[in-house]
Amino acid sequence: MADLAAALGPGGAREEPLELAMYGKDAGVTRGRPGAVCFPRDAAGVAGAVRIARRHGVPIVPRGSGTGLAGGATPADGALVVSTTRLNRILAVDEHERTAWVEPGVLNLDLTRAVAHLGLHYAPDPSSQQACSIGGNVATNAGGPHCLASGVTSAHVLALDVVLPDGAEVRLGGLEPDTAGYDLRGCFVGSEGTMGIATRVAVRLSPDPPAVSTLLLEFASLDAAAATVGAVIAEGIVPAALEMMDAEITRAVEDYVGAGFPRDAAAILLVELDGRPGSVAADTAAVGELGRAHGARRVRVAADEAERALLWKGRKSAFGAIARIAPDYYLHDAVVPRTRLVDVLRTVYDVADTHALTMMNVFHAGDGNLHPLIVFDASEPGIWDRVASAGDAILRACIAAGGVLSGEHGIGLEKRDHMPLIFGPDDLAAQAGLRAAFDPDGRANPGKVLPEGSRCGEIAGAPEGTWI
Amino acid sequence: MTLPIDPVDLARCVDCGLCLPHCPTFRATGRESASPRGRIAAMRRVQAGEPVDEAFVSYMQECVQCRGCEAACPSGVPFGRLMEQTRQALRSTRRPRPPLVRRTLEWLAYRVVLPRPGLLVALSWVLIPLRRLPGLTGRTAGLRYRAESLMERLQADDDPDVHLFTGCVMDAWQRDTHRAALRIMRASGAHPGLPGPGAGCCGALQLHAGMDFDARRLARAVMRSLPGDDPIVVCSAGCGAMLKSYGELLETDAAHRFAARVRSFAEWLEEHGGPPLRDTGRTVVVQDPCHLNHVQKVAGSVRRVLAPAYRLVDLDDDGLCCGAGGAYSLTQPELAAAMRDRTLAAIRRAGGDGAVVASANPGCAMHLAAAGVDVRHPAELLEAALGASPDAGDGDAGESEHR
Ligand SMILES: Cc1cc2nc3c(=O)[nH]c(=O)nc-3n(C[C@H](O)[C@H](O)[C@H](O)COP(=O)(O)OP(=O)(O)OC[C@H]3O[C@@H](n4cnc5c(N)ncnc54)[C@H](O)[C@@H]3O)c2cc1C
Ligand code: SF4
Ligand code: SF4
Repeated sequence: MADLAAALGPGGAREEPLELAMYGKDAGVTRGRPGAVCFPRDAAGVAGAVRIARRHGVPIVPRGSGTGLAGGATPADGALVVSTTRLNRILAVDEHERTAWVEPGVLNLDLTRAVAHLGLHYAPDPSSQQACSIGGNVATNAGGPHCLASGVTSAHVLALDVVLPDGAEVRLGGLEPDTAGYDLRGCFVGSEGTMGIATRVAVRLSPDPPAVSTLLLEFASLDAAAATVGAVIAEGIVPAALEMMDAEITRAVEDYVGAGFPRDAAAILLVELDGRPGSVAADTAAVGELGRAHGARRVRVAADEAERALLWKGRKSAFGAIARIAPDYYLHDAVVPRTRLVDVLRTVYDVADTHALTMMNVFHAGDGNLHPLIVFDASEPGIWDRVASAGDAILRACIAAGGVLSGEHGIGLEKRDHMPLIFGPDDLAAQAGLRAAFDPDGRANPGKVLPEGSRCGEIAGAPEGTWI
Repeated sequence: MTLPIDPVDLARCVDCGLCLPHCPTFRATGRESASPRGRIAAMRRVQAGEPVDEAFVSYMQECVQCRGCEAACPSGVPFGRLMEQTRQALRSTRRPRPPLVRRTLEWLAYRVVLPRPGLLVALSWVLIPLRRLPGLTGRTAGLRYRAESLMERLQADDDPDVHLFTGCVMDAWQRDTHRAALRIMRASGAHPGLPGPGAGCCGALQLHAGMDFDARRLARAVMRSLPGDDPIVVCSAGCGAMLKSYGELLETDAAHRFAARVRSFAEWLEEHGGPPLRDTGRTVVVQDPCHLNHVQKVAGSVRRVLAPAYRLVDLDDDGLCCGAGGAYSLTQPELAAAMRDRTLAAIRRAGGDGAVVASANPGCAMHLAAAGVDVRHPAELLEAALGASPDAGDGDAGESEHR
């Protein structure tokens, strides 16, 4: 601690027990007990803190805004939390190349706002975009409704300056389209703090589309909605976003924000098309027709920016609407092949029924990224077991349908022990080997992503309160 | 010690972190302990039986009570209430107690001076020469009231059909604003009256400091001074929010009925219909005081009443608190200054150097003016656009009125 205070100046590191408790968890459900938290202001400060931790044999955990849902920023006991909140400068914006260098603590929406006057934006838009940091987005390879056409975070990160777990500073990737050697940048994106700490990120900025149109399609059955999704994609239309909400969540959102969603629909689709005015108009008409052909009872096209904003507010408030219904929720994040969407959804509802749990579904239908949500009251005796067992059954069903574990929120602590479901021992060993190349001592966010035992000498048990 | 707060309110927080960017103290420090989520976590621990330590007290005191978090919270956490109740508990049981000097100053301000507008005006006379002292100019730069303004009383109409609430600080230091408001109200065809005897401070500062007993006493005095059922117009966003909350504070039918009569100045003007205005062609940057924006939720009315006369520019900072926060700029000067720097940068981005800023709250106005910003109340801006204003057309709205 004295070393940290000397390296980072007064206020640069803190260890009051009450404050440390606040750094024990993120927006997920797991909890740990860090030994200290520090707030470096530049890359050198990060490197200094990492070296000090190494000297004292203490693990490190990077933390952005702590909006992660998978416990990625939950510290191993005694760990040093490296907060990036003071690394929050936009360093350079190149309007012509459409790139920007930013520090990792810059918030996603702040970046988009800062370049809005140039007609640019940062494309990945997680629903938490107002609060989450670019560093956290990189480390979880975050996605959002508008990542269907433009790709998730990985497609928008060009280069990274990283402090490795041994304190060395390296650059991964580069602004040139084709950098020589291994794509270590790609490897770092999604590494959830296990390969070091990003201190500067070069991101791609996207031009604002000249025309945008948003449609709301209402359906009397989930099947009809899912069939429409398939038909739109089969038609060769690539919507900027394609989101589905089931009856429960639609009602919940409508009660909460009054976005004009139908309370009696079995499912709704929110489709956004962008591009040049002519093609947007044509695609809008085509999606409307496809919807009706597959049983949409109503197709509504947002008349203006205000209506469009309201529809998206509805979609992005899904989480808040749930927070109002029940004190606790458990959110899943899995990707299944689009063709199996309806089957998987049915299984998901069956699982909820057999476990007597309330289930809601809101998800990125375009890329098959499901977010089944279980809402419950944690004070009910025995509920955790039911929730955990339902969660397990849901993940297994997704994987059985050929899906993967995490669409965007990351593996973290939460889904770590499900990794063997999709990866064999050799795959896991290869991943552990890669991780070890970055972090031979196993001090960077230990206990995350890979299950215990996939490499020898993994330190730190699961933090207290872990229930996966 | 446990906190007298409803566990259900506390349980509402789901730790999502969506409020963090809307919290000015978190933005200024980057510390979870200076964020709504962190403060709630701390309340939970105390509620669960952990001792109240100095750290807890300082985290609570660093909160400016702007309620930006409450407006942003998807889960409906009533943060304002949680914080008021926590401060009440701290005030009644806190060990160790704050230093004597501070307690004395608080006692003087909250219990002696603010409830007595006459005393405040008298003190203001004393301050006029003092504020020119070299050592004090920085601290008192926000106090720009004129001596003549203190001398002239406000004039009420006979047979009023609406009342203007005058309060404490504003009556002493920004009486010109009230004068402008009365003029606009008359120009709109209304007959404004003034509070009867006994009215003073609305009690907001006391409530925020955890002195709920004093707050209730002041609230009852304000209600007695404004009988009847005509609308009550309030030029201060903070006082307006307080008057509107008398129902919950006193929990009587009379208080609820009283609260229903209260309107912020621009809100009333919009409902009533305003006077004819000329287009000044000038640009004004609109600052949204937290108590108008997050608490009363009527910030839009300021824009709508000013729009016919000015070109309006918004700040791009999501309505983050400027750091004034009642007595906050005195109790937490460092954080308040950091928050103000952020607001100043936003003002420069929106209107360049020398921008004229509209603010409907005296606290914000003084806090920003102390940093050299040209701040006007919407009432003054409207007065300058009436066409008959003394400086009409000279290119600088209300200049001579303000200094
Ligand atoms: C309401 C809500 C909605 C959400 N919606 C979405 C969504 O639509 N899509 C989506 O993908 N996610 C979503 N999330 C999850 C979360 O917002 C994302 O995972 C986000 O990327 C996390 O960013 P953060 O700054 O909060 O990171 P944190 O939670 O602080 O950290 C996340 C992980 O990143 C690591 N990390 C942070 N900074 C760095 C760094 N500089 N270098 C290396 N590692 C680092 C941490 O160690 C941790 O493992 C949502 C969360 C909430 C609460
Ligand atoms: S937004 Fe609300 S629920 Fe989320 S962390 Fe803040 S107070 Fe808690
Ligand atoms: S009231 Fe304001 S300062 Fe206090 S926690 Fe909420 S947003 Fe932060």
